[in-house]
Amino acid sequence: MAQDDEDRRAWFRREILPLEPDLTAYARQFCRDGQTDPEDLVHETFARAIACKTWREVSNPAAFATRILRNCALDALRRRKVLTITAVADFERIEPMDEAPGAQTVLESREELRALADAIAELPAQCRRAFTLRKVYSLSPEDIAVRMGLSVSTVEKHLVKGLRYCSEKLGRRIGRKNKVDEGRSWSARRDHDAKR
Amino acid sequence: MERETGSRRETVRQAAALWVVRLDDPSCSDADRAAFEAWRDESHEHEAAFEREAVAWARLDRLRALRPPGERPDRDLLEPARRAALPGLSRSPWARGMAAAAVAALVVTGVMSFGTSTAYATAIGERRVVVLSDNSRIELNTNSKVVVRYRNGVREVRLVRGEAVFEAASDARPFVIRAEGAVIESGNGAEMAVRLGSNGAIVTVRKGAAELDPNPSVGHDEMSLKAGVAAVYSAVGGQARPVSENEIDRALAWRQGAIALNGQSLEQAVAEFNRYNRQQVSITDPSISGLRLAGYFQTTEPKGFVAAVTSAFPVRATEGADGTIRLSRRG
Repeated sequence: MAQDDEDRRAWFRREILPLEPDLTAYARQFCRDGQTDPEDLVHETFARAIACKTWREVSNPAAFATRILRNCALDALRRRKVLTITAVADFERIEPMDEAPGAQTVLESREELRALADAIAELPAQCRRAFTLRKVYSLSPEDIAVRMGLSVSTVEKHLVKGLRYCSEKLGRRIGRKNKVDEGRSWSARRDHDAKR
Repeated sequence: MERETGSRRETVRQAAALWVVRLDDPSCSDADRAAFEAWRDESHEHEAAFEREAVAWARLDRLRALRPPGERPDRDLLEPARRAALPGLSRSPWARGMAAAAVAALVVTGVMSFGTSTAYATAIGERRVVVLSDNSRIELNTNSKVVVRYRNGVREVRLVRGEAVFEAASDARPFVIRAEGAVIESGNGAEMAVRLGSNGAIVTVRKGAAELDPNPSVGHDEMSLKAGVAAVYSAVGGQARPVSENEIDRALAWRQGAIALNGQSLEQAVAEFNRYNRQQVSITDPSISGLRLAGYFQTTEPKGFVAAVTSAFPVRATEGADGTIRLSRRG
């Protein structure tokens, strides 16, 4: 049983989590009226996906996750007190996510290293120092506490803050153009669709 | 940091992040672990949030590559004003060439069908994912190289060095992997790992099926491999055996930046670590090379591995002037 849970989590890590940037971009389309937070949709999607007991039968994880996200968005829509016709119409118009990754995507590891270092450099000074000592030099929180003259729990708080900042940042796309062009307005998109 | 504070989602993610930090703390107690299990069992929301933070935390381990050799810890290493000068972050000519190649491939669609081949490689300790124009995926392990050539209706990938996992996207064109003289034709949607050895290679099929021809110039000894089968081959032929899913996961633990040992000898384990690190480990005393090990280690932390070995066995470690860690019998 424990092994089975571990397998299920490994599947989630391997197949579902890497979809985060795509799912976030997709979720934004459901949140154009600003009444739902796309991050909430992704968060909920992950919680429902990891709960899937029949994960071994999922042949297309991207299609699976997209379906869940759409359902989450629909549920959020239903929970609203005032449902406008346009919200429903907009919802119907959103096309299924492009389930294939962008052509010729090269996740160059040096780029990734640079993105990670950028994220750390953006942290407040004390937080950045604690994080640097923990992740670059592998010092334990106790050692860091002694070195920086802080309590262990303060070091933990810095590390949590740094981790949250990085995980949020890494969930967005790194060094790759978004497939959904966010600069384009919604109405322009409609015109474009109408021409087809 | 434009997060809305106090939101329910953020509360859960913060809690998950705190567990990740705590569990990775060497002083984490059994009681802490039990409390974590209880928290995680509360909901799938907690479970998913934890996995998310844990993966980000593990990804950040790559920052170790920025540590200057032998220096005492410098807390301001990643200070905004200084980090641009870090050697690990400078663009190598290789990276520049790759970026140019990627742009060219995007602009001139189908550039590959004109017979151009593209090489992708990793340095020691590096890992890399390449998604090809047809959405086939190649994941390169440390110190590895592939040359991709799509032409004449064939998707051909040559493994020149090291080890890689290939995932062939469905397409009308056959997907062919060449490695050590052998030809492996991957079925559509199949996933397999190929690892070159000193003499021959090993193919492990994780999903789908493949046809292996160890020596096409001789022919007639083609082998059909299905999911859950590993084949060892050289120019003189091949041998297939079934492997369990767990065994495959262990062999491919490098995709998560880890080495999973399950009864391997110290000699084999050391050879494995040496693939991933410039700092090498050597065994100076043959009487300890047969010790059997189990456990899960970070590929980039040979010191953690050495510490585990010296605490579990009568083995002593000394670091030479050249940085090599020598293992010998203690007492």
